[in-house]
Amino acid sequence: MAPVTRRLRLPPSPIEHSVEGRAFVLSGFAVAVLAIVLYGQDYVVPVLGVAVAAAGHVVSYRERNHKRGFWRQVLLAALVFGALFYVLTDSALALFGGVLPQANFAILLVAITSFDLKTRRNCYSSLWISLAILYLAAVYAWDYAFGILLALWALCLAGFWVASHLRRGGAQLRLPARAVAVAALAALFGGIGWFVVTPQPSGLAVSPLVVSLPNFTSFKGGIESPALPLVQLTGDPSGATTSVDLHFRGRLGDAPVMYVRTGAPAYWRGQVFDTYRDGAWTASIRDYREMQPYVPPRFLPPAPQDNLGTFVQTFRVLRTMPGVISAAYPIESLYAPVAALRVDAYGTFHTPEQLHAGQTYSVVSYLPNLTPSVLREDSSLDRLPDHVLTYTGPGALSDRAVELASEVTRDQPTYYDRVMAITYYLQQNYRYTLDLPPVPSGRDPVDWFLFDVKTGYCEQFATAETLLLRSQGIPARLATGYSTGDYDPVLNQAVVREHDAHAWVEVWFPHHGWVPVDPTPGVAPLAVTQFPSHWAAGGIARLIPHLTVGAPAAALGSLGALVVVPAAAGIALAFVLVYAWMRRRRWSFRKPQPGEIELLRLYDRLQRRLGRRRAPPETPLEYQEAMTSALLAEVTEAVNQGVYAGRWPEPRKVREMAHRIF
Amino acid sequence: MRPTWRVAGAAALWLVLEWYGAESEVSWLFLLAAWVLALIAVSAVYAVWNRGGLRLHLAAKGTTPGPGSPAEELPENLLHGGPIPGPLFEGDAMKLEVGLDTTGAARGPAWVDGEVAGRQLKAGTGLIPKRGWRSVQELAELRRGAVGATAWSIVAGDPLGFFQGRRRCPDVEVALVLPRFTSLAGRRETREVESSAASPRAGSGIELFGVREYHSGDSLRRIHWRSSARRGELVVREYEPPGVQTLAIYLDPSPRDPEVADQIARIAASEAWDCIREGGRVALWAPGLQGSESVQARGLWDILEWLARYPGEPGDDPVPAGDQAVIVTGAADPRLVEALESARRRGSRVRAWMVGDADLDVDAPIEHVGAGWPL
Repeated sequence: MAPVTRRLRLPPSPIEHSVEGRAFVLSGFAVAVLAIVLYGQDYVVPVLGVAVAAAGHVVSYRERNHKRGFWRQVLLAALVFGALFYVLTDSALALFGGVLPQANFAILLVAITSFDLKTRRNCYSSLWISLAILYLAAVYAWDYAFGILLALWALCLAGFWVASHLRRGGAQLRLPARAVAVAALAALFGGIGWFVVTPQPSGLAVSPLVVSLPNFTSFKGGIESPALPLVQLTGDPSGATTSVDLHFRGRLGDAPVMYVRTGAPAYWRGQVFDTYRDGAWTASIRDYREMQPYVPPRFLPPAPQDNLGTFVQTFRVLRTMPGVISAAYPIESLYAPVAALRVDAYGTFHTPEQLHAGQTYSVVSYLPNLTPSVLREDSSLDRLPDHVLTYTGPGALSDRAVELASEVTRDQPTYYDRVMAITYYLQQNYRYTLDLPPVPSGRDPVDWFLFDVKTGYCEQFATAETLLLRSQGIPARLATGYSTGDYDPVLNQAVVREHDAHAWVEVWFPHHGWVPVDPTPGVAPLAVTQFPSHWAAGGIARLIPHLTVGAPAAALGSLGALVVVPAAAGIALAFVLVYAWMRRRRWSFRKPQPGEIELLRLYDRLQRRLGRRRAPPETPLEYQEAMTSALLAEVTEAVNQGVYAGRWPEPRKVREMAHRIF
Repeated sequence: MRPTWRVAGAAALWLVLEWYGAESEVSWLFLLAAWVLALIAVSAVYAVWNRGGLRLHLAAKGTTPGPGSPAEELPENLLHGGPIPGPLFEGDAMKLEVGLDTTGAARGPAWVDGEVAGRQLKAGTGLIPKRGWRSVQELAELRRGAVGATAWSIVAGDPLGFFQGRRRCPDVEVALVLPRFTSLAGRRETREVESSAASPRAGSGIELFGVREYHSGDSLRRIHWRSSARRGELVVREYEPPGVQTLAIYLDPSPRDPEVADQIARIAASEAWDCIREGGRVALWAPGLQGSESVQARGLWDILEWLARYPGEPGDDPVPAGDQAVIVTGAADPRLVEALESARRRGSRVRAWMVGDADLDVDAPIEHVGAGWPL
């Protein structure tokens, strides 16, 4: 056993003597903490952590050559456990605010262990923990300014590498400023270039991200908080409402409600409603299943056929919201920092209480392969299954509305075409507005929308389409939640605001289940998640209106035979640059002859002593005659011999010459 | 240029960032990974650039005389014509300037290591400015002979320590440690009286004193063909000028150990010093070795340099003659005996120094000495 443990033991790490290296480690930690302060809105523990870590670094440096004291080790271990206790307490009871408990734990860990940074390996450990802290901040970072912090951290890492490397070789931390600056800029911009042009790999998401620890508040009763953002945001934060009432809608502002880091832009689906009566939607099925906060794939419906893979979303709640998990559907697995979850009959997950600002949950969703051609093939419908029959029928729809639906879907060959016919009809013949007058008393909001005002917002469109489809025997239901929000395809992140609250339709397809369809004008009718963004350059291209990833290639292709011109110009430019570089290199790298440098230095020194340097057009002989100094004779002769005849004197002769002159 | 283990560490970090980026969809991780990769690539280019423009600099910067060094007793005018930066005698300390020169821009970091006078030296710097970087190291208690810088290399790479290359530099001689000497005039007074009575004075002006390189105008009859063939250039015999005291020193061609060789060199240097100080000329000869050139005969520093390198290159120079001839040896070499006998026959005053206890069968006063100095 002993030989095995001896083999597994890491080789000893040298004591880190470089004070500059330690400064870089501390700076890296400070940068990571600053990121948490800026993007996590967490202040007390980060500030305290940096102050303690700075003191710890001073102590560690002063005592780096001393043996570790037993009682100090015990104290540090106790403090680490104390930090762990604090994190668990904060997670469970939110005694200290409950914001970013994992990040706070990592900060405390660095602060405590900074009193024991003796070896280089200890310093690396501190750096890696600060990298983890930086990662937690990166999950919440929503702007490009975070890149500056990231670059600063990379600079600290490089600085530590430099300091420890030079220290190990016994050299001082002094470097050629110009060359190092050029190299640093090359790395900075080269890295950005690499990031932009290189497709980002998409891994198989094994599980949702755990970036926050659970609290232990349990469900107190039945399902509450149906997560109607449209209603809840207008002044019903308790989430007690169980319906979507089309008779009114509150004003939605620009305030962000949640921040989503996601591999693909999607609709963040919340509550689903199936029953429409008197202008209001309700959910008729109240059943639910209780689950653990981590829901693995085996507890969820099977993966959609021909899906394109999975992608991860991390949601950070920015203000109090109903206890509903908004996410892209269908869900593969999820993790929410709560004691338990409940999933209702419509597949929506609920939390025991409202979601509070700072809470984070993570979801892995399937990327279904839903295209018009695929869905058109999925139209062989002989008989509807029983469980979707409740989603059909005209319900409260007026006769003329049913007639309208029949008119619109007439002559449509397939199930899919009938769905899209109604969708396109609503998108093309009705106008979107938020300035909708109150529904007249006694009028059905849908009928009033379809035949009178012909304007409305998403609920009107979605409700109308749902009922029209049902009247044609197509199962449909109302889905609510949020649209993608302000999505940045380069950084795969979205800021979801109040006004992104949205409603759309879910239409049942025999082999694909519930497929989202959006009849609201101005958006894609087939509201499915369309692309994963795994390429920053592709993301940049998408930022430019009307430019797709393939546009540059198409533009080049349109040039025909002339396409060789830019290519040839590029190659020629590359050749010229390489040639110029080689010429310069050959010139500047010519190996000097023995004695050459010594003699030219002596000549230079002599010129300084004589008080005037040789002018560029002046030959050495002319300079000698002009200066009328006897000291110049011998050196001028030697310089002429060397420069014009290639006969440089031996270094020893030069030294003797210098001895005679000076 | 080779990658170091740090590259493996950085590559591992890159892989972790890429993997976690792929798993978590946090694009910032890809950017950080790209920067780590860029650092590796830029470091490789930097290391190649850095290594390509560095040259080793090794030079004697100064000397510190040791206890009893002749440098403290030599007159200023004599020291002035001595080696630069100063004469270096055995037992003295030398300041060795180790450094790096750069072509063009400032570079760094780089390290140099190698051996000087049997001692391993190492120095390094992060910055090599345009004017070069220097580090002075002291070498104490040097032994006689050439101070060679061997197995020197320049180790250069990038500041992050990702790549390193080692370039060997040619071996060079950085200094020459001269033998110690002192005046032996007092020691040999009595023997000199004895030997002068036994031998007639030399200096007729036709005795061979040594050889020197051929100068335009020299008579072809004076060319010494055997030495010319060996040296690859024409050399001519030089004859002793009349009226100048000349001393021919015959040395053991193969001393049995370095200590004996050092002692022989010291005694020969002391004999030469006494002669040159009186205005005389000195010729050094050892059977089978290149002798001193006649142009060096009046120069103390040339004589000391020859003795510093003793035993030197093989050669076949003729036996020089002089007013006096002295054997300094550690063994009874018959060629030395024959040379001394020949000198004695020509009328030179002859003496002999024997380092150790070996017998020497010559008709001349012999002084036995040990390897210790001073005598």
